[in-house]
Amino acid sequence: MLGRGGTIVSWTVIRVPPGGFSSLAPYPVVVVDITGGGRITAQLVDWNESDLAVGRKVRVVVRRISEPSTEGIIPYGIKVKPL
Amino acid sequence: MKVYITGACTTKFGELWATSPRRLAGEAVGGALKDAGVGIRRIQALFVGNMLSGMLGGQEHLGAFFAEELGTTAPAFKIEGACASGGLALHNAVNSVLSGQYDTVVVLGVEKMTDHKPEDVATALMGAGSEEERTAGVTFPGLYAILARVHMKEYGTTREELASVAVKNHYHASLNPNAQFHTTVTIEQVVRSPRIADPLRLLDCSPISDGASAVVVTNKKSAHGITVAASAVATDSLGLAQRKSLTQLAATEEAAKKAYVQAKTGPKDIDVAEVHDCFTIAEILAMEDLGFYPKGKAAGAIAAGETRLGTSKHLVVNPSGGLKGCGHPVGATGVKQIVELVDQLRGRAGARQIKEAKIGLAHNVGGSGATAVVHILKK
Repeated sequence: MLGRGGTIVSWTVIRVPPGGFSSLAPYPVVVVDITGGGRITAQLVDWNESDLAVGRKVRVVVRRISEPSTEGIIPYGIKVKPL
Repeated sequence: MKVYITGACTTKFGELWATSPRRLAGEAVGGALKDAGVGIRRIQALFVGNMLSGMLGGQEHLGAFFAEELGTTAPAFKIEGACASGGLALHNAVNSVLSGQYDTVVVLGVEKMTDHKPEDVATALMGAGSEEERTAGVTFPGLYAILARVHMKEYGTTREELASVAVKNHYHASLNPNAQFHTTVTIEQVVRSPRIADPLRLLDCSPISDGASAVVVTNKKSAHGITVAASAVATDSLGLAQRKSLTQLAATEEAAKKAYVQAKTGPKDIDVAEVHDCFTIAEILAMEDLGFYPKGKAAGAIAAGETRLGTSKHLVVNPSGGLKGCGHPVGATGVKQIVELVDQLRGRAGARQIKEAKIGLAHNVGGSGATAVVHILKK
């Protein structure tokens, strides 16, 4: 999945986040059709207002997911960024 | 064999900080038993619908927990299916009677949410989504916002049409003494309320609530018994991205189809419906997926008052105020919908009574559409 391209099919901006995400809010969450097949829900990073559009091209990247847990473990996972 | 609901009762929904889950359950079940004219000793099983007691309150084993409170040693089960827990509990209760295992059982839906921090509640509710969605940091308002945006783009559904769902349901709630909100709202207030997950705003969202509802389910006919004509469930992927379509909840459509066949009825025959309006877009999707309107036509019809008390020519939707106006204690909601239908079909719904209501439909959804439960009740 890493490095693959895709297209935004819908998006929202989360302004009231769940626990562990407050330092990131507000942040967009997008549904992306991955080129070559598959669809994912992911957070959009490195974004401007103009990136929040259906049809916008994005790429899958690795990022820190949320604030570290009390044990200090930093969770990493997949997000997407505008191409 | 026929199955009847002979007793139905709900507590007030709202921020009930002074009331424990035990007391809520006692009030709802006590009221339902009294309504049915049976004592707790006649109850052969207890089905509890609840989602969050473990994550928020640290209490699991709710079958035994509430059986103890109610003073019974009958078999007791907790049924969990996110916000469809109440509807699923009823489905299991109906099946248990249909099977011949039990004659008379109680369904209790109960949830206590407002004692906890909003972000803790949001995190706990996301237990109903997929791991991918939790990793994305999305919330339930966010998931329904994603559905709303696609619906707006595909069918031209407007921001004001979304708001009209909240306006209608707050009006209905203002007529329901058990509702969380008794204030009416305007389109202007909804579209100017604080942004939660664009394009959804605060007044597009059902609230965090406490409450309990209960019904008595039996194979014994009585003068006031309401027939359970259909009880159907369908399941879809947990995550939105794995669905075929983002403009419908396929599980709702599938459950409704099965329910209409079971009840030998169709959408045109329904006089009153309690549908799962956790967000304004959800009622629009429900009206289309349940077959009341073609795709893309429900929003305009709701905005024109076609499903509102007083202006509707036939079908009235969410006379209780729905999840939006009556409140949404998640495990209780599916059972409260049934209590409202029973009250409507028995002609005891007071200021919000629908004239000559004979057939009612309840639609309860878990997650963003992974579970859908449809019940049809007949007078």
